[in-house]
Amino acid sequence: MNSFSKMAKPYILWAAFFIVFPMLLVMFYAFTQTGGDVAKFSFTLKHFIKFFTEKAFLEVLFLSFRIALITTLLCIIIGYPMAYFISRQDEKIQTLLILLITIPMWINLLVRTYAWIGILQDTGLINTFLESIGLPKIKLIYTDFAVILGMVYNFLPFMVIQIYTSLSKMDKSLLQASEDLGATPFQTFRKVVFPLSIPGVIAGITLVFLPAISTFVIPQFLGGGQYVMLGTLVETQFLKAGEWHFGSAISTIMAVIIIASMYITKKLDKEAGER
Amino acid sequence: MKKLIEFKNIVKDFDGHLVLKGIHLDIYENEFVTLLGPSGCGKTTLLRILGGFLKQNEGQVIFDGEEISNVPPYKRELNTVFQKYALFPHLNVYDNIAFGLKLKKEAKDVIEQKVNRMLKLVGLEEYGKRNITQLSGGQQQRVAIARALVNEPKVLLLDEPLGALDLKLRKEMQVELKRIQQEVGITFIFVTHDQEEALTMSDKIVVMKDGEIVQVGTPIEIYNEPQNAYVATFIGESNIVDGIMKEDYKVVFEDKTFDCVDFGFKPNEEVDVVIRPEDIDIVDEKQGKLRGVVKSTLFKGVHYETIVETKIGTSITVKMEVKKEDPVINEAAKEKISANDFFLDIEDVQNLTPMDIIARSDAQAWNDETDEFVGIPNIVYTIKEEKGSYPVEFSTSKGTKITVNMIVKDENRKINQEYGEEIFAMNFFKKVDDVRESIAIDTDLKTWANASAYDLENGNPVEITDVIYDFDPENIVPGNYTVTFRTQGYEYKIGTTDYHEEGKVVGLDFNPEDLHIMKKMGTN
Amino acid sequence: MKKIFQKSYIALLLLFCYAPIIYMIVFSFNDSRSLTKFAGFSLRWYNEVLNSNEMMKAIYYTFFIAIVATVVATIVGTITAIGLSKSKKIVRDIVLEVNNLPMLNPDIVTAISLMLLFITVLGSGSKLFGLVTMLLAHIMFCIPYVILSILPKLRQLDSNLAEAALDLGATPWQALMKVIVPQIIPGIISGALVAFTMSVDDFVISYFVTGNGVRNVSIQVYTMSKRVNPSINAISTLMIAIITIVLIIINVIPLLKERRLKSN
Repeated sequence: MNSFSKMAKPYILWAAFFIVFPMLLVMFYAFTQTGGDVAKFSFTLKHFIKFFTEKAFLEVLFLSFRIALITTLLCIIIGYPMAYFISRQDEKIQTLLILLITIPMWINLLVRTYAWIGILQDTGLINTFLESIGLPKIKLIYTDFAVILGMVYNFLPFMVIQIYTSLSKMDKSLLQASEDLGATPFQTFRKVVFPLSIPGVIAGITLVFLPAISTFVIPQFLGGGQYVMLGTLVETQFLKAGEWHFGSAISTIMAVIIIASMYITKKLDKEAGER
Repeated sequence: MKKLIEFKNIVKDFDGHLVLKGIHLDIYENEFVTLLGPSGCGKTTLLRILGGFLKQNEGQVIFDGEEISNVPPYKRELNTVFQKYALFPHLNVYDNIAFGLKLKKEAKDVIEQKVNRMLKLVGLEEYGKRNITQLSGGQQQRVAIARALVNEPKVLLLDEPLGALDLKLRKEMQVELKRIQQEVGITFIFVTHDQEEALTMSDKIVVMKDGEIVQVGTPIEIYNEPQNAYVATFIGESNIVDGIMKEDYKVVFEDKTFDCVDFGFKPNEEVDVVIRPEDIDIVDEKQGKLRGVVKSTLFKGVHYETIVETKIGTSITVKMEVKKEDPVINEAAKEKISANDFFLDIEDVQNLTPMDIIARSDAQAWNDETDEFVGIPNIVYTIKEEKGSYPVEFSTSKGTKITVNMIVKDENRKINQEYGEEIFAMNFFKKVDDVRESIAIDTDLKTWANASAYDLENGNPVEITDVIYDFDPENIVPGNYTVTFRTQGYEYKIGTTDYHEEGKVVGLDFNPEDLHIMKKMGTN
Repeated sequence: MKKIFQKSYIALLLLFCYAPIIYMIVFSFNDSRSLTKFAGFSLRWYNEVLNSNEMMKAIYYTFFIAIVATVVATIVGTITAIGLSKSKKIVRDIVLEVNNLPMLNPDIVTAISLMLLFITVLGSGSKLFGLVTMLLAHIMFCIPYVILSILPKLRQLDSNLAEAALDLGATPWQALMKVIVPQIIPGIISGALVAFTMSVDDFVISYFVTGNGVRNVSIQVYTMSKRVNPSINAISTLMIAIITIVLIIINVIPLLKERRLKSN
C-alpha cells in the first residue's frame, strides 16, 4: 500500500513551510535583538526578562489568567446543568436543542461581540430600560463584567456541547445498574454520571480557557482601549509599537502556556479515563 | 494435473519478527487447498503475498510458470474473498459483482449476463438491487464469492471467510463452497483455523505452525497419519501418552509393551503415542489391554464421550477435624467472635502475616443483632520457627476476644517421581457450620488444607483436579474425616455408543495400527 | 416540577444565546441611527451597505477567499488524510502533531507567525500582500480541520476495501476514486463546511497578514466599529443570512437526493 502513503508527502512539505517554519521564526525573533546594523541579529533573553520583571506586563498576564479562569468556571457552572438537562430530554428534542446551541457558533465572533456593545453601552438597551422604569444607570461596558460576559457568551456553547457529548455517549444501562444496586438518583449522578462526564468537562475546559486567554477582539470591544490582555498586548507590539522581538517573545510565552495546559489536561483526561 | 502455483523459500518478517520461515509449497489446478493453523502461524500472510498485498523478503512466487513477485495485485489473475468480505457499502449487490467487469470495460450486456449467471450460482437471483447493508452475513458472503468469481480468476483465495458466520450457516457454506468449486473448476486456496472446515472441504490440507509447514496431505492422510503430536491434536481429538519405543513395532507405555506398526526409531527413544478416541473400545475389565475406572460420561449428541482413568494422579490425604465450637459471646458489646486452630509448616512461619492468620483460622466477628461483620483489628501472637503450639488472640475494638492455637508441624508433602510432581496439604480444624455453609466445598477444602501441587522440573503449579471425601457436607457432624487431593493421572478420552456408569472398572482395547507413534515435539 | 425547572433553565440560556443576534437583526431594519429606540421599519442601512463600494468589496473578498481556500484545503486535506491513513504510525503521529499546532495555538500566534513568514519570504513591501497572503493563510489554517474530519471516517473503513478493489483489477487511482472517496464523502463534506466557516469567520489571521491590502467583512466590521454605525448591523445580518442559506442548502441536498433515490 506504499503507493497510497505517498499521498501524504506534499502536505508534509507544506506543513514544514507554513506551520513549523513560521513558528521557528517567532521563536527566532523572541530570542534575538537587532543591533545597530539592521542585518545583524544577536541572541538575547532581554524580552523575556522585560516581560517578567515589569509590573505593567505582569499585570496583563495576571488579568488574562484571572479573566480566562473566571470565564472557564462560569462556563462549567452554567454549562453543566444545561448539558445535563438537555441530555434528559426526548431524543428528538435533544438534537434540536443541540442544533440551536450550535447555530450561533456559525456566526462571526466579531459580529456576535459587536451586538453586545449596543446592549451594554451607557446609552444601550439595558440602561435605557433601567431609565424608563426610574432606576439609575449602571456602568456596564468597559468593565470586567462586560468582558467576562462577552467571553462566556462566545465560549459557553463549546462547553455545553463537550459535556453533552460525554453525557449522551454514556451507556444507559450503567444508570439502571446503579439504581438496581440501590443508589438514589442523586447518588447515581454523583457516583456514576459525574465521574464519567469528567473527560467531557476537561475537553470543554480546553476549548474555553485557551481561546479566552488569547482573544483580543472581546476585550477590545467590551473592555475598551485601556483594557489590555495578552492578545491585545501582542497586537499593539506588532501593529502599533513595531516591537516585533518583544511581541514574538510574548507570543512564545502564550504558546508555551497553551501547550503546557494542553499537556496537563491530556494527562488529567488520561487519569480520569483510567479511573 | 498441472502445477499452477509454486512458493519457493518464502521468507517474511514484520519488524524483525519472522512470520514465514522459508515456505516451499506447490499448488495444482482445480485443487481445493486449505492452509490450516492457529492464528499467527503465517497462513494469512502467505495468502496476502500470493494476492500481491504484501511482498516477501526472500523467495519466489511462480504463477503459471511466471515469477509474479513484482506484478501489482490488479494485474494478477486471481481474486480474493476477504475476511470481513470488504463489500463496497456504497454499491448495491449487482454493482458490487459488476465492479471488476466494469473496470475491464466489458460490454453492458455481457456484464449483465455474467453477473446474473453469478447471482444464480450463489443463489441470490432476486437480490441484485438490494443494498449491501440489507443482507445477512451469509448473503454478504455469497456476494463476495460472486464478486470474485465473476472475473474468471484462475485461483480464488479465501481468507477465513466463514469465521463471522454462526455454526449452522458455516456448515451450509462449507457444502456450498465445495459445490461452487467443483462447478467452476478452478483452484481454491482457503485459509482457516478450523480443522473441521479443513477436513470437510479440502483436497489437500497444509498444516502450518510458527511460520513453517508441518505437514501436507489429503484430509485422510492428515487425520490417520499425523506426523507429530501437534498435527494430531490440531486435527481432531486425540489421546497423547508418553511412551518409549523399545524396538521396531514395540512400544512401551503404562509399564506394558504393546505391538504397533511403527518402526525406524532409535532403541528406547522417548515418543508420543497418539490414540484417537474412536479407536479405543471399552470392553470387560478382564479382556482389555489396559484397565481403568470410568471417571465421567458426557452425552455428545450422537455418541458418548467417556473418560477412563487408568492410573490415578499424585495424591495426598489429610485429616479434617470437625468441631462443634460455639463462638465467644460478648453480651455487653452484643458481639460474637469465632476462630479455629490451624496447622502451619515451619517454612510458612517466616512469611506469616496477620492476614494469613485470619484466613487460616477463619476468624470472624459479627454483631449479634444485625449480623453485620465487625473488624478484627487486634491480633496478638508470638511464634518461632520450631515445632509446637502457639496461641493467637483475636479481639475487636470493643474487646470481644478469642484465643486459638497455631500448631507448627513438619510439612506434609508427597513426591511422585513418575509424573515429576509434588503435592502437599495440611491437616485442619473446621467448625460444623463452616462445612455446612460452604457453597463451593471442593475449593474451600483446598483452601482450608492449603493444598497445592507443583511440577518438580519447572516449579509451575499443577492443577488439583480431584478432591475426594466421604462425608455429606450438608449434614456433617463433629468428628474426624479424611480428605484426599489428587492431580490428574492417565486419562483416555473414548468415543462410545454405549453408556458406561461412572466408577465402573472397565478394560480398554485397541489394535496395533491404531497406535500412532510420533517423535517428541519440544514442549508437547 | 423538576421538568419545568429544567425546561425554563434551557429556555433562559437559549434566550441568552439568541438575544444579541435578534437584537442586531431587528435594529438593522431601524429607520434611525439609534441603537435603543426603534423608529420604524426601513432598509436604509441595507441601502448603505449595497451602495458602499468598500463593504461590497469586503463581502466579495470574504466569499471569494472562503470558496477558494475551502476547495484547495478540501482537496489537499482529503489526499493527505488518505495518505496518512496508510502511512506508518510514527509518520502519521508526527504529521498529526504538527497538524494540530494551528488549531491549538492561539489565533494571534498563528497570525504573527504567518506575518513574519510572509515578510521574511516576500519582503515587507511586496505587492503580494493582501489577496495572495490571505489566501495562503486561509488554506494553511483550513487544511488541519479537513484532515481531522476525514481521518475518523477512514479509520472506520474495512481495511481490506482498497485491497478488494485492487484485487478486482482496479488501479490504485481507480480504487481511490471508485471505492475510498465515495465512502468518506460525509467526512469530506463536513470538513469542507468547517473550513468554509472558519475562513468566513476569521478575523485575527486575516487582519495580520493582509498588510494594507484587501479587507474581508471581519476586518471591515472591526475598522467601522470604532464609531456607532448601524450599517454594521445590516452587513452582519446579511452575513448571517448567507451562512444560513449555505447551511440549509448543504443539509437539504442530501435529503432531496435520498428522496429521489427512494422514488426511483
